[in-house]
Amino acid sequence: MKKVSRRRFLVSTGVGGGVVLGAMYFGGCGIVKRKIAGYANTAESPYLGNTKTPLIWFEVMPNNQIIFSSSKVEMGQGVFTGLAQIAADELDVEMGQMEVRHAPSQTGNVDRFATGGSTSINSLWTPLRELAATMREMIKNHGAELMNVSVDKLSTNKGIVSGENQSMTYGDIASKVSEWKVPSTPSLRNIDQYKHIGKPIVRVDLEDKVKGAHIFGMDAVMPDMLFGSVVRSERVGAKYVDADISEAEKMPGVVKIVKEPDFVGVIATSYNAANNAKHKIKAQWDVDKVWQSSEIESMIEVGKGKPVVIQKNGQPNRFLGEQDEFISSEYRSPIGAHAQLEPNGAVAHVKDGKATIMMSTQVIKLTAGEVADRLGIKEKNVNIIPTFLGGGFGRRLHTPNAMEAAVMSRAVGRPVKCFFTRQEEFQNDYFRPPTHHILKAKLSAEGIIEALEHNVSSGDVMYGSPLVPNFAQPLIGSDIGAWRGGMVQYGAIPNYQAISWRVKLPFATSWWRSLGLLANTFAIESFMDELAILANANPADFRLRHIQKDKAGDRLKKVIEAAVEKSGYRDELLSNGRAMGIAASTDVNTPVCHVAEVSVENEQIKVHKVTCAIDVGLAINPDQIRAQCEGSIVMGISAAMYEEMKVVDSVLRPTIYGPYKMALMKDAPKEIEVVILENDEEPGGVGEPPLGPIGAAIANAAFRITGKRNRTMPLQT
Amino acid sequence: MKIYGTLFIILLLGIGSFVGFSNPPRNQEPVQNTTQAFNTMMKVVTHKRCMNCHPNGDRPRQGEDSHIHNFNVQRGDDGHGTAALKCSTCHQKANNDNSGVPGAPHWHLAPISMAWEGLSDAEIARRIIDTKFNGDRSIEEIEKHMTEDDLVLWAFDPGVNNEGIPREKPPVSEKDYIQAVKEWIAGGAQIPEQ
Amino acid sequence: MKIQFNINGKAVSVDEDARTPLLWVVRDVLDLKGTKFGCGKAACGACTLHVNGEAVRSCSFPVEYAEGKEITTIEGLAKGDQLHPVQQAWMEEIVPQCGYCQPGFMMSTAALLDKIPNPTDQDIDDNIANICRCGTYYRMRKAIHRAAEIKNTPS
Repeated sequence: MKKVSRRRFLVSTGVGGGVVLGAMYFGGCGIVKRKIAGYANTAESPYLGNTKTPLIWFEVMPNNQIIFSSSKVEMGQGVFTGLAQIAADELDVEMGQMEVRHAPSQTGNVDRFATGGSTSINSLWTPLRELAATMREMIKNHGAELMNVSVDKLSTNKGIVSGENQSMTYGDIASKVSEWKVPSTPSLRNIDQYKHIGKPIVRVDLEDKVKGAHIFGMDAVMPDMLFGSVVRSERVGAKYVDADISEAEKMPGVVKIVKEPDFVGVIATSYNAANNAKHKIKAQWDVDKVWQSSEIESMIEVGKGKPVVIQKNGQPNRFLGEQDEFISSEYRSPIGAHAQLEPNGAVAHVKDGKATIMMSTQVIKLTAGEVADRLGIKEKNVNIIPTFLGGGFGRRLHTPNAMEAAVMSRAVGRPVKCFFTRQEEFQNDYFRPPTHHILKAKLSAEGIIEALEHNVSSGDVMYGSPLVPNFAQPLIGSDIGAWRGGMVQYGAIPNYQAISWRVKLPFATSWWRSLGLLANTFAIESFMDELAILANANPADFRLRHIQKDKAGDRLKKVIEAAVEKSGYRDELLSNGRAMGIAASTDVNTPVCHVAEVSVENEQIKVHKVTCAIDVGLAINPDQIRAQCEGSIVMGISAAMYEEMKVVDSVLRPTIYGPYKMALMKDAPKEIEVVILENDEEPGGVGEPPLGPIGAAIANAAFRITGKRNRTMPLQT
Repeated sequence: MKIYGTLFIILLLGIGSFVGFSNPPRNQEPVQNTTQAFNTMMKVVTHKRCMNCHPNGDRPRQGEDSHIHNFNVQRGDDGHGTAALKCSTCHQKANNDNSGVPGAPHWHLAPISMAWEGLSDAEIARRIIDTKFNGDRSIEEIEKHMTEDDLVLWAFDPGVNNEGIPREKPPVSEKDYIQAVKEWIAGGAQIPEQ
Repeated sequence: MKIQFNINGKAVSVDEDARTPLLWVVRDVLDLKGTKFGCGKAACGACTLHVNGEAVRSCSFPVEYAEGKEITTIEGLAKGDQLHPVQQAWMEEIVPQCGYCQPGFMMSTAALLDKIPNPTDQDIDDNIANICRCGTYYRMRKAIHRAAEIKNTPS
């Protein structure tokens, strides 16, 4: 059992009349940098709470409901359900008693980092249980006083404290205590005591989502609200200069045109009116040059830019130097769009130096800071009220739209709702950067890899984010987002290295679900398949023979073996003309192996079945782990097979679904098998790791049929 | 137009037995040389605004590059799409400038007997006037269809695309096209040898 | 202009510009937020609702065409407390993740089952062409088959 960490707890009265217990996190601002750097090396998730206000809190209501105020946002990954399960087990309450809500920024319990990186469950695993256990003991202690029963005669179950023929609900106790005494943190439950953890509990948000009753950012309203729309350039690198608004001002429904130094927007009485008027604004832009996809591609090339050796073992350079004979292949991946279904937007009301904003965001704290900076007010006067997210995928780690809505609201003194059109979404995305990979290997006569090298050239990921300020970049050393998944995971290879090449592109690139993992794994795991074939080996066996004997190695080995067994993986053509491909990756401490079964007809690859084995450490909710695997597999198929943005005369295209080709129902595999392996590790991340191997698994399977190695994503053009 | 779909099904049942052109147009003395009218008419007929919905298969085409219609859109039993993905799920009776989705009354795919994709001008013209292909339309009905039908004439008012950019129109004006069709038919619907 | 129609069984009258997409009237005037805006170009299907029982993408449907029609949105799919078979199946299979696209998918599926009570996998591929970024298609397919079962079982 992990040692109970030093935390501070805070008790107060909640707005609903219940008692609130919150837990604080110790650590100064420097922890941000250390945690992010540490994250790179250990995959230990950072949880960056506030030091002055509780990072998580519960409110016990008189009706015995527990309101859990979550600093992590629900974007489909099921985090509300998983966190509620964890809390319910230490609180000794039923799932039905738990109500999870987003914590608005003004309550203080806001994660300084973000909801992302597959870190939510892992980072809150310990503090959440400690808080819940403390809450339970505190209530029990006060229950003992109220019932005049010795505390060791009492037990807790289903939110009721009972013993010696007496009982009180948590709610009863909470409503009768005025001076709370916080006990020292009790020891935490053992795995065999869990009632909710480990069960496929139905998502807490399921029914509302099925009824269409959920409130997303796009659904948020405020009384007396107007609609705003900001003019955006289609062009890469365009800087706003000025705008002629004379025609737009005359359009029906227009309330005001807001001209700022860096943007112009229109406020009108309806969305349609705002949008129509916007098209009449003639904006001038400074554009330095005309960009084309071919130039972007030539910028992204291993050998250009600044290299950083991110991993090294043995002496790979002795085998892979210019004078040596070795095997080498090049891989490429395209620019990817987030294409989340809910457009970015915000409803803002700025009045009397205070701002209230309702929106979908993955970075509540950062959003609040940006709005405060722009309005010149203190951050404590900005309240970001998070809604459910209509998809996150990293897109909502960038939220300048909150600032725009706030500025527009201030201009009219009324709430303004402002959101992107779909075309603006596609043209103003913070894209998944394109990549180029060169892999080199030296294979022995016995079919053993003697040396392996992976070079990846990528646009910025982490460096493209305001979450990582410029000053932190030297500390981190290189863009860990870009090379996520880019390290060699086969530790038994005696000599290997991974080298990251940084390229700054003229358009915004940043976080996209799983970051570099999809492209890096595509390259490395396709290359492993190439090597296996050259070594005349079964690709699964070939991988296993290069895995080191340690804990990480054992876990990787087990997922590969599990996927092989469950899928019946074979490396020859199947009797129905289909073939299987295998690939594996380790991301945020979570190893995953996919076996894809595909057919190729008229040059069209069809994925019929994917078998996924994943080792999640402790599984909190097996059903939602499955859901994340299934979803990652489908999103990965979409990205690896179809999706691609191009730069045409400085315009990022396409600008709409359809031309931006994505997987539809017909393209999703009809069979997905997920094998969940568990161990005594802490619960690991599951939102991104299963995206890793899918591209390579498909490409490796298709190769068995076509005999042609496809080294460029998207695989299906 | 309402019976169009039914006719098409009947045609489909029998289509396998037809080989080429089996019902020649009215054999009357040409009143004039209508080759120029024919060519003018065919410039419209073979333009992508028309061709995109006369594909040789079950998938409509779209756009200036006549790509296969996105989203797996298909002909369906009656040329109006499938049960829950009909043409009218997205296309209404007029162009929509907000969405950039084109529209006209009875928006649908031409029956497979009227597939023009891959045919020469002469082959298309023969299908147009052949009752075995054209939905059993007389030459008078064809003239009316080609010069008055809202969906046919939509080609000259094709609206804007999803980015608000006007769709390309045929290289002939609506007026000249209508006149050419009438002239060609009046001249005996002659199909010039190519 | 004044436009009258029934929405989820209730008669309403709105006074709107004739070309306003029905989507915005449903969402912003009638305050039914279950019908979602995804693209405004009839490309994603998040705004799918029923017009006289047919699946329609409301972002590309001018409100004037709603005159005299029966409109059903996700809020009107259930009969009172009784969830529609599609919703029941969606619950059983725990389909939604972020949930944003789901009302559109459920409305498309409901329209499909009205026309094809027992859809095959091919029918599903040919009829359900909305976009889900979370990638819930695999569960949706199971839910569509399950919904057909529920709907075809006499209660």
